[in-house]
Amino acid sequence: MSEHESPTIATTVQTSDEAETARTVRTTGRSVIESRDLSVYYGDEQALQSVSLQIPDKQVTAIIGPSGCGKSTFLRCINRMNDLVDAATIDGELLLDGTNVYGDDIDPVALRRRIGMVFQHPNPFPKSIYDNVAYGLRIQGITDNLDERVEKALKRAALWDEVSDQLDKSALDLSGGQQQRLCIARAIAVDPDVLLMDEPASALDPIATSKIEDLIEELAEEYTVIIVTHNMQQAARISDKTAVFLTGGKLVEYGDTDQVFENPKHQRVEDYITGKFG
Amino acid sequence: MATESEDVDQLRRATGTQLRRLKGQLFEATLLGATLTGIVSLLVLFGQIGFDAFRPLTASAQWYLLYFGTLVTPTAAFTWYARRNPAVRTANAKAFAVVFGALTVSLLTYVVADSVSPYDVLIFLLFGTIPPLLVGIYGRVTEERTYTGPAIPVATVVGLAVAALLYDVLRPLVGIAAQWIAYVGIVTLPVAGLLGVVVTRRWSPRRGVIAATGVLLSTLLVAGGLLGIGIDPSFWVVLFSAFVVPVGYVVGSTVLTESDGRTGVLGPFVLVGGVLVGATLERQLGIQGLESFLRPTLLLNSWDGLNASNAGVYPQIVGSVVVVGFMMILAFPVGISAAVYLEEYAPKSGWGGRLATLLEVNISNLAGVPSVVYGLLGLALFRNTLGFGTGIVVSASGTLGLLILPIVVVSAQEAIRAVPDSLREASYGMGASRWQTLRNVVFPESVPGILTGTILALARAIGETAPLVIIAVATTTYTPPRGLFESATALPLQIFAARSSAMPEFRHGVVPAAAVVLLVLMLVMNATAVVVRSRYERDD
Repeated sequence: MSEHESPTIATTVQTSDEAETARTVRTTGRSVIESRDLSVYYGDEQALQSVSLQIPDKQVTAIIGPSGCGKSTFLRCINRMNDLVDAATIDGELLLDGTNVYGDDIDPVALRRRIGMVFQHPNPFPKSIYDNVAYGLRIQGITDNLDERVEKALKRAALWDEVSDQLDKSALDLSGGQQQRLCIARAIAVDPDVLLMDEPASALDPIATSKIEDLIEELAEEYTVIIVTHNMQQAARISDKTAVFLTGGKLVEYGDTDQVFENPKHQRVEDYITGKFG
Repeated sequence: MATESEDVDQLRRATGTQLRRLKGQLFEATLLGATLTGIVSLLVLFGQIGFDAFRPLTASAQWYLLYFGTLVTPTAAFTWYARRNPAVRTANAKAFAVVFGALTVSLLTYVVADSVSPYDVLIFLLFGTIPPLLVGIYGRVTEERTYTGPAIPVATVVGLAVAALLYDVLRPLVGIAAQWIAYVGIVTLPVAGLLGVVVTRRWSPRRGVIAATGVLLSTLLVAGGLLGIGIDPSFWVVLFSAFVVPVGYVVGSTVLTESDGRTGVLGPFVLVGGVLVGATLERQLGIQGLESFLRPTLLLNSWDGLNASNAGVYPQIVGSVVVVGFMMILAFPVGISAAVYLEEYAPKSGWGGRLATLLEVNISNLAGVPSVVYGLLGLALFRNTLGFGTGIVVSASGTLGLLILPIVVVSAQEAIRAVPDSLREASYGMGASRWQTLRNVVFPESVPGILTGTILALARAIGETAPLVIIAVATTTYTPPRGLFESATALPLQIFAARSSAMPEFRHGVVPAAAVVLLVLMLVMNATAVVVRSRYERDD
């Protein structure tokens, strides 16, 4: 299955000592992702203006802001999905575990194997439920214990009980909310370090949304979750940290969610949160 | 209350409503008129050709009554019955597909191999399939797929090249065997292998081996039996392996496993049986049937320019099939690869992007270039530059391939573009490489669309006349092409030539009959593609 690319990137090469320290540091809320003066341009248009922030390990970080403020762009910088857009150019650094993911020796394909992504609209492949979850494993050449891994991912995504007897059915026959949980299962089946979610509940009804929100809170026990949302109540409910982007791709405020929502430092953030614009 | 009724009144009698509605109705009527004009003109045209080809007035009333009783009534009744039960309908469709699909494949295989020489086909088939098969099996066993994947096409090409180099040595060696043994190699072995794989996947490897061996042994038994009574078994080996075996497998497994729909497999047999019973009774009772030129001799005989009732288009049919078949091999891989490159790999911005756009615009324009111009291109390229002989299969296939290449590229591009970007993003987001995304997501999704484009391209190529005239393909040959570098003709050319015959029975009898044959040939090719396409869609 893995034809041409080596599955490791520079950051995954750790000696056992380093891994040990990494684990102890993580429990103290070390930051896994850090952006330094990150700017993104689509052609002549600037989508992000030197954004610097540190995202902590195993917590939910929400990115909120009005449409076109660059929050999705920032998210897509983390796993280099912007590489797929020809016209995008990126300045600055984005560090994953201290390694710049825009470094010359970084393979974006290997990077994306450590960073799962869930998109705005549920986008399961037109294959069976099983094949969807097994997709990431298969492209990485993992063929042993496939059934177990698929079951585990579906259980963690809280979908197993609903689909355990119909794994051969097409994923497109599921409801929208089930499809989105399937996409989450697909992303976590390969056991990534970070989970990026781009407005994962915006296309779903309230019941499906609340299921996804519960799931995100559970997932934060094992993964670093970064979620973009335009729904401020959602951000307030589920996130530990909140970053507020405002028009023009500027990071205006970043801090603990309680502080950002109850006592924002900037007047414009307060206006946005209280619904005066956006 | 007063205001409310006023509002309602306003709704009913708003100014200009009547006029607007009239305008709308007129517009709808115009559209309907345009649609009907097109359909009626086509019906008249085909009606005229059909009338000349079938000559429906020559048959007696008894003939119509006979076939109404043996063919139309049972088929209609069965169709009506099958439509009411989805399981029966599915089984019916499956049975029809396998009966007519297998019949087409076995006849085409035999006809082509017979004209080219079964020994040649066997040599190239063996050398073209065994090396890649071995590489694939090696990859399976060792799980070393990094190199075996790309090595499979290389092995195919190398195998074919080796076969071409060693041809002079191999040909006499293979030629020792009787012809029917070559057909066993061409048809029976692949069918046995395929059936073995299918049965293995569905049940177990043990049964797969039994099935494959069974096919081989029963074919040999049939051949032996025919040899015993002094008949050359070549044709029957092909018919048995490529028609009886697949039909038996599909019909048998449907009857055994699908208890709800098992009666559906009778569909094609009702149809064929009706024709056979009708034909037998027609002969036995001496009923006056259709006196048309559309009869077996037309399909089996060579051309006879003097005697219309003896004229046949067998070499022309084989020529068309060989030319178009080789054209597919030449043009489809190139066209689909170009489409994949332009859609998935070509840069979208900068100078590279501009170049790609320029290329795409030009390809779209090429799709509309008159076919005569492609004929001139083919003449310049194949005859004058490469020095190929006049009117040979490769030149004809190459010219037609150039002609349909833009159509293939454009339609394949559209099919690939129709795959939603969200699926590509999902795949890339999982850490898939471009090739993995292409193979696992983009390609399976776009295959039905690509096949639709190739159907259009095929339909265009099989009817093309002008470019073949320009590259000096013979209008009449009396034998089918013996190889790729031999002269061949195509059915439309023969129709074109016969049209200017001095004898009216050619102009009004053989020509429309041959035109119907051409249409049927086109329909068979299209139907094959449609079946393949619908299969892919169902698998998703």
